[in-house]
Amino acid sequence: MQSTFYNTKSVRTAKARLGVRLTSPLRLILLLVGSLLLIGGIALVVVHVPAGWFVASLAAVPFMLYAWYAGDLKYPPVSTNSVDGLLSGDILGQLGDTPTPKDLAKAAASVRGGQFFAIRFGVTRSFLNDITSDKPEDTEKVWQHALTIQQKTGSVHISGAVLTVALLECFPDYESLLAHMHLDLDDLYAGVRWYEMLRLLSEKTKEPRRTGGIARDFSFGYIPMLKRFGTNLSEQAGNLQTFESASHKKAVDQLLETFGNGGRQNAALVGEAGTGKTTIVHAFADQILDAKAKLPASLKFRQVIMLDSASLIAAAPGRGELEGLVMQVLGEAYDAKNIIICLDNAQLFFEEGVGSVDLTNVLLPILEAGGLRVILTMDEQRYLQISQRNPALINALNRISVAPASRDETIAIMQNQLIFTEYQRKVTYMYQSLAEAYRLSERYVHDLAMPGRALKLLESAASYGEDGFITGNSVQQAIEQTMNIKVGVANDEDEREKLLNLEDLIHERMINQTRAVQVVSDALRRARAGVRNENRPIGTFLFLGPTGVGKTELSKALADVYFGGEDRMIRLDMNEYVRPEDVSRLIADGADDPASLTAQAMKQPFSVVLLDEIEKAHPQVLTTLLQLLDEGILRDIKNREVSFRDAIVIATSNAGADRIREYIERGMKLQEFEQQFVDELINSNQFRPEFLNRFDEIVIFRPLEKPELLQVIDLILAGINKQLALQKISIHVADDAKELLVEKGYDPRLGARPMRRVVQRAVENLVAKQMLSGSVEPGSVIEITHDQVSQLLESESNS
Amino acid sequence: MVMLLVTELFKWWYEAGLRQRIQKIALTLDGTIDYFSMDLLLKTLFAPFRQISAGKVDGSLDVKFRALIDKLTSRAIGAVVRLILLLVGGVTIVLQIVLDLIVIIVWLALPILPIIGLILWLKGVSF
Repeated sequence: MQSTFYNTKSVRTAKARLGVRLTSPLRLILLLVGSLLLIGGIALVVVHVPAGWFVASLAAVPFMLYAWYAGDLKYPPVSTNSVDGLLSGDILGQLGDTPTPKDLAKAAASVRGGQFFAIRFGVTRSFLNDITSDKPEDTEKVWQHALTIQQKTGSVHISGAVLTVALLECFPDYESLLAHMHLDLDDLYAGVRWYEMLRLLSEKTKEPRRTGGIARDFSFGYIPMLKRFGTNLSEQAGNLQTFESASHKKAVDQLLETFGNGGRQNAALVGEAGTGKTTIVHAFADQILDAKAKLPASLKFRQVIMLDSASLIAAAPGRGELEGLVMQVLGEAYDAKNIIICLDNAQLFFEEGVGSVDLTNVLLPILEAGGLRVILTMDEQRYLQISQRNPALINALNRISVAPASRDETIAIMQNQLIFTEYQRKVTYMYQSLAEAYRLSERYVHDLAMPGRALKLLESAASYGEDGFITGNSVQQAIEQTMNIKVGVANDEDEREKLLNLEDLIHERMINQTRAVQVVSDALRRARAGVRNENRPIGTFLFLGPTGVGKTELSKALADVYFGGEDRMIRLDMNEYVRPEDVSRLIADGADDPASLTAQAMKQPFSVVLLDEIEKAHPQVLTTLLQLLDEGILRDIKNREVSFRDAIVIATSNAGADRIREYIERGMKLQEFEQQFVDELINSNQFRPEFLNRFDEIVIFRPLEKPELLQVIDLILAGINKQLALQKISIHVADDAKELLVEKGYDPRLGARPMRRVVQRAVENLVAKQMLSGSVEPGSVIEITHDQVSQLLESESNS
Repeated sequence: MVMLLVTELFKWWYEAGLRQRIQKIALTLDGTIDYFSMDLLLKTLFAPFRQISAGKVDGSLDVKFRALIDKLTSRAIGAVVRLILLLVGGVTIVLQIVLDLIVIIVWLALPILPIIGLILWLKGVSF
């Protein structure tokens, strides 16, 4: 059990207090006084005043004090395992003999670690002050927490960061407090580790680097061609200490082993784009240039040069010239004796294409001979393609796999990398933005692997800062703006209003089907209130019913009202997917088929996915869709995960339409035959139970009755009036004329669908004729009577 | 408390402080040795300079002989350049060591300087 003893009389406490009292103006005075004593004393000695010796020698006192401050008082080293032995000097020096938690909060907030938490987590001085007690007896509990956190996080001191977290932990309801800030205790511990990492990094950067000196390359050859056609990574190395994730460290170690031992001197770093293959090569270049690193002599001070395929191709346009040029460049690298060639995106050197060229014939013998050290980087897909085309080439390579980074690694890499972005963009990232960048990029960024995808999003969030601070909200905004999706909880007043009145808004453009409208509205409300399961689509619905009753219309209305337009609907006619091989069309790569389901969802994840006439799709296609319905994920042909977790998936089917009509005609209500009807669908093998079970709701649409059809007529007429509004004309159809339109347009099998045609024929044609004859002027209302409609429909049917 | 702090100052001055000073000096010396690539120069003293004429040559005896002469010349030039640099580096390091020794002596003497000053004053020493 660790002692929490806080000794206010210890030497370390006394030193820390003196260190705090020696503020920078005081230290400046010390230097000034010392200098004056020295100069004055020497002057006195020069003018033959013996007292000058003593005056000059007194300068030793302020100089010694200054040196003591810099070497000891500023950062008194850790002495014992008690609180006063571990507490960082800048805090210890500020505390009295019986400090209260409020005193601790004040001290913590005034030092770097506390300020770090204020900036990165929003735990400000006033916030700490509000949640801490002013009773000295509560301090012991804070010390206990602080000691535990210091041990758990591996911190050297009880720093301002450790103390801040300890004070938070001592607040009785700290969990809900943190939840309000979108944080939990693990995040705070990660924050302490982050602070500690930055502290060590800044200490490390103070240490001078040893890179061999001015005569390092005397024994190695000149490399003019390599300088022209490549980038020397070793020249860029060592500018700033960078963090190496565990997977990167492993890959760098493998590179060192490959090049440090005998055997073929090449390595192929294979991994998805964004995993950090190029960063690994940079880290390797950095490490072999470090004079202090324990390395085989044959590797030390070697330089890594990345060849630029574009400049090579540009310099040798003629046939056969390029091979000659590459041989010259590689020959130079071989002769120089200290060059490791890096072919980044190595596929550019092994396939014909724009900006790429197939140099297999030149490079294969070199790789097989193993005389020249070569590092290749390529993604898994390209590696497989090359291995299919040229197995000999793959056999000649030493493969090193680079896996995508884990969440913790990605967060740590972001913490390290954001230093550069913060410097360049003059912004400050909060911890919440990092966690949000990981979460959102994992879901929405498909073209890169971790950590690249999170870093990409984090960088783009720099443009959405609030007063220079990049928060979780900034990251949400970045992804919402770039991908046109909604990821945050509904905050906007307009949106909230829209969500609460969703049914009314939808009913403005479709009649009845109240149950269907209600279930989709509920699903959306759940999603935007943040209470849904994030690992599934917003909602999955199967709409069953006869044609022309509003199934597709509801999907369109939803896309329009909520997702921002009918174009936010991904519509697939499943009668085009009736063969097993159609599965590949469903999940095709966007580059080959932009109309595939996965390609459209990648482009527009926030949408309504309408799978029309689902019963016509091949069972294999339905099986492929199971994971989409279940987990909101579908893998495309390139095995990339495509998210449907921000989509509403609606499948429609006419299956059993006649049965629905029968039930309704028998006078049964929807709820009364719903379950029985679904059982019938399963028994008749129209749908498999495991498929139906995947939907959140199976909604049956009932056929429309004549009064409802009159309302549909009103909707269609409203649409026509909207079109005519441009010409400042409107129409008014008499009630008996409407009934006639319903009579002529209603078809029990086709529902309301023929109605639009009938209205178009009757009303639109009448209006068009009147407009062309010049009998209608802007601002007038065209009255359409029963007789006019009847006449027109009769004449059309006769013709 | 004041006495305690004064004692601590002297303790630090001749223990941790002195250690820190020596470490700093060692680090600077190490930097100079690295800057002039002293160990590399010694290890590769007779290596061909910049790999000039260092490659293998096939051909007649005459060609091989000329290649050997070229290689020897390259090695000789390399040795001369390296020796010059070794000399410059060596002198710099020696000067630095002398300077560092002075710094350490001053460091050691600094706490007793007021006493020495007092004695000189009382003895009336002047130029």
